[in-house]
Amino acid sequence: MKVSFPYMGSAIVYKKLFEFLEHEVVMPPKPTQRTMDLGVKYSPEFACIPLKMVMGTYLEAIEKGAKVLVTSGGHGPCRAGFYGDTHRNILKSLGYDDVELIIFDAPQDNWRAFFRNVQKIRNGVPWHKVINRMYTLYRFVQKLDELEKMVQKIRPYEVNKGQTTQVWNQIHEKFDKVKTRKQLYEVYEECKQMLLSIPTRKVDEKDRIRVGIVGEIYVVMESSINFGIEEILGNLGVEVERSLYLFEWINDNLVPWILRPKRFKEIIKKGQRYIKILIGGHAVETVGHIIDFKERGFDGIVHLMPFACLPELVTQSLIPKISKEIDIPILSLPIDEQTGKANMLTRIEAFIDLLKNRKRGKTREIFIDNIQEDVQEERVVMV
Amino acid sequence: MKEIYIGVDVGSVSTNVVAIDRNVNVLFKTYIRTNGQPIDSVKEGVKQLKEALGDVEVLGVGATGSGRQLAGAILGADVVKNEITAHATATIHFVPDVRTIFEIGGQDSKIIIIKDQMVVDFAMNTVCAAGTGSFLDHQAERLKIPIEQFGDLALSATRPVRIAGRCTVFAESDMIAKQQFGFSKAEIIRGLCDALVRNYLNNVGRGKNLEPPFVFQGGVAANKGIRAAFERELQSKIIVPEHFNVMGAIGSAILAKDYIEKTKTRTNFRGFDATDIDFSTSSFECKGCSNRCEVVKVSMEGKVIAMWGDRCGKWTNSL
Ligand code: SF4
Repeated sequence: MKVSFPYMGSAIVYKKLFEFLEHEVVMPPKPTQRTMDLGVKYSPEFACIPLKMVMGTYLEAIEKGAKVLVTSGGHGPCRAGFYGDTHRNILKSLGYDDVELIIFDAPQDNWRAFFRNVQKIRNGVPWHKVINRMYTLYRFVQKLDELEKMVQKIRPYEVNKGQTTQVWNQIHEKFDKVKTRKQLYEVYEECKQMLLSIPTRKVDEKDRIRVGIVGEIYVVMESSINFGIEEILGNLGVEVERSLYLFEWINDNLVPWILRPKRFKEIIKKGQRYIKILIGGHAVETVGHIIDFKERGFDGIVHLMPFACLPELVTQSLIPKISKEIDIPILSLPIDEQTGKANMLTRIEAFIDLLKNRKRGKTREIFIDNIQEDVQEERVVMV
Repeated sequence: MKEIYIGVDVGSVSTNVVAIDRNVNVLFKTYIRTNGQPIDSVKEGVKQLKEALGDVEVLGVGATGSGRQLAGAILGADVVKNEITAHATATIHFVPDVRTIFEIGGQDSKIIIIKDQMVVDFAMNTVCAAGTGSFLDHQAERLKIPIEQFGDLALSATRPVRIAGRCTVFAESDMIAKQQFGFSKAEIIRGLCDALVRNYLNNVGRGKNLEPPFVFQGGVAANKGIRAAFERELQSKIIVPEHFNVMGAIGSAILAKDYIEKTKTRTNFRGFDATDIDFSTSSFECKGCSNRCEVVKVSMEGKVIAMWGDRCGKWTNSL
């Protein structure tokens, strides 16, 4: 089976998954303007941006020869639950009758359907091998996420602009070659050293700015649609952490409930302070993480929402209240195909100025103290 | 010789250039249509400045606006800052106790909330243009009224009329309907001003605590009809600063001044000859990795002087 999948975040993880199941993998291209154009062309106009981008990715993967597309479904009353069927219908109307779309809904919603899907993609690989390799994959995701978190803490202080991103790209290439658990641990150690040897500026603890990124999963995880917000923030000298990492997502959604880390339940509980009922998407988690980031001493929150995303609209409408009650600045950024980068950059920069002001002092004079460093951070290289 | 700081604000609709002295007296200001040619409009603005002021010594240059990086590269700016910080800096200078700034330009509009001379919150319009200058331009054209007369006409209206101003399409059909009901043009224009303000406050100001003193700036602040509509809506006095339409440029000049004074550095300003230099921009998609960055390249007489847009620093660092 020539298998492909939506591109989201560190997509080599999904690639590994299917490699481990001995499929022929068609790596979908990282979403570009073309992906967007294709997606927009063949999706309902009022669909939200993740649906369109994933649609575009499917079409590009099919161009490259994919015959089976595997994805996860949504649960709760948000239209993400219809994505699979919508995509399936669109593919059909375009005449791709030979392309199969396999949708994994949350196992607890329908165990039987889940196992039917598992059987399909297991590809006849014996169970003991599947279990062993899935465990390797589990650790693979964990290690990659650990490195990513390091990246997010190193990038703001790097001396040579762009170096961390370069190393991060190299890390992906190295991880892509990993086949066994032993290799994984070796590569992990090597990559860790690569990151630790990046020259950084010393910045006082009290001068560090930390921003949490929350919101709908696709726009939070996929940098090509959020303008690479983590890098933008990092380049502005800001440490970032996302509300979502693949490893945690797996723990929260795929690991049996009993074994789930307590953390997830705590986040949900925090979110329920403001959203009491299930409204789908990641609304409750978004709010929970906002509160969690605040409790952990973060300076600000960037909230990413696909334009017209219902759950995140609910969150957005709560934000003034939350921001005031727990005293943390929150910047909501709606993301759509029309979102201009210049406009987005302006907001982000202004938001970071605001956070620095808050942290380091008032009035223009004190604000100027920050400028020198800001100028160095923001100015393009000039001869 | 006069010592000046230059501020440039390059937006999609207009390019503003100002010169201030050490005490933030505005010595020169100009307002040029960008017309999709930011390089030409920046050059033109600086040329006008030179002609108006004669021999001057430029101590520092600041750039802001959506074209700030480009303007910064062309002129050799010392400070390149976003519009929100630039606007706030200027407004705080002229109205030190300001709490809320309304900024409405051609395409963009903003609300900036200030407390103790510090930006504590802000918002910008996203996809909706119904709260911006272009909405008014468009409607003025429809009613065949020169935009300059718009304000006075609005003030002459005696009856209020409610126009659905949610978007241009609704506004248009509602205007036609109201004309048929017998409302005068003046009344309809007043209704439009109310609609714009309502819309702007609802869209951009949603969930914000708006406290006086209110300062209203940006190109649209020239419009008396809109000013009056704000005062009606907020039941409060609205301050329109003298240099209302070039506040961003002034703010960036102030930031440049502060920076130069504080760090005692020499300016990077390329000199007025830069207006004769041939600059060009181009962009390309880097295929170096799967990020496929859109890299912008600025060349000066064929030589690349600035690049940005690359995620990994490959191009920025290659200079
Ligand atoms: S500029 Fe760097 S990060 Fe961007 S596509 Fe090229 S190599 Fe990749």
